[in-house]
Amino acid sequence: MMSALSIVTEDAAGRYVQWGVVQISVTNLVIIGTMILLFVLALVVPFGSGRGSRADRERRK
Amino acid sequence: MTAGAGALSPDDTTDPGNWTSRLRRKLEGLVPPGQALPDRQPVYVASWIYVFGVLTLAALVVVIVSGCILALGGVAWWHVSSLGLYINSVHLWSVELFFGFMVIHLWGKFWMAAWRGKRAMTWITGVVLFGASIGTAFTGYLSQSNFASQWISGQAKDGLNSVGIGAWFNVLNPGQMLLWHVVLLPLAVGAITALHVILVRRHGVVPPFDADPSIEQEA
Repeated sequence: MMSALSIVTEDAAGRYVQWGVVQISVTNLVIIGTMILLFVLALVVPFGSGRGSRADRERRK
Repeated sequence: MTAGAGALSPDDTTDPGNWTSRLRRKLEGLVPPGQALPDRQPVYVASWIYVFGVLTLAALVVVIVSGCILALGGVAWWHVSSLGLYINSVHLWSVELFFGFMVIHLWGKFWMAAWRGKRAMTWITGVVLFGASIGTAFTGYLSQSNFASQWISGQAKDGLNSVGIGAWFNVLNPGQMLLWHVVLLPLAVGAITALHVILVRRHGVVPPFDADPSIEQEA
């Protein structure tokens, strides 16, 4: 039976999140969450247009 | 002989059967002219998701440079001196960033189906590179020369023995693991990285699904 999500601190080695058979350290969970956040931001945050090359700037004049 | 106005080009003077000229032509043909270090890209490349490949490469450069400095100082130096401890940390954290950037790069390319348009070998070399990088990092954790490396090797030996490679790749032999970490695996990672980048430059970055193939504009 799947137990509810819980924070496990059985020893001093670190804090773990347990959800049934799934157990992951809080540190690893935070790192994975940060990576997913970075991935989503990379998709939605607009990319700067930059200064362009000298030829581009000449064309714009 | 000095090169003058009437000097012949290398192609005119060399024997087509000469292996040096054959190798030169091979190297010159690795990427299309002007594509080795292009300063212009298709307009759809102006997205942050296209940045993670080169971020991975930048992290790899820091990994290699900090690793070379650690090799100069040696084990006692990186465990004891403050500068050695600092360079050891730079080596560790650049590896963490290397893997973080590489996995985000992998997610981006997977959801973009980056093997499209005859880019299968680019994708496959990336997959092999991911595996080789994991092996390099693993032997690095075994080469820390502390209780963590001892514990990791003790945990890993049974799994590796069960698949029959323990006789050739013995995680309980720190000398062998250090040499795999600083010679064999970095050579493999370096060579596959070079091949991967050459393939990217040959075939170009993969366009998004909704990119108009007729777009000529470049940014």
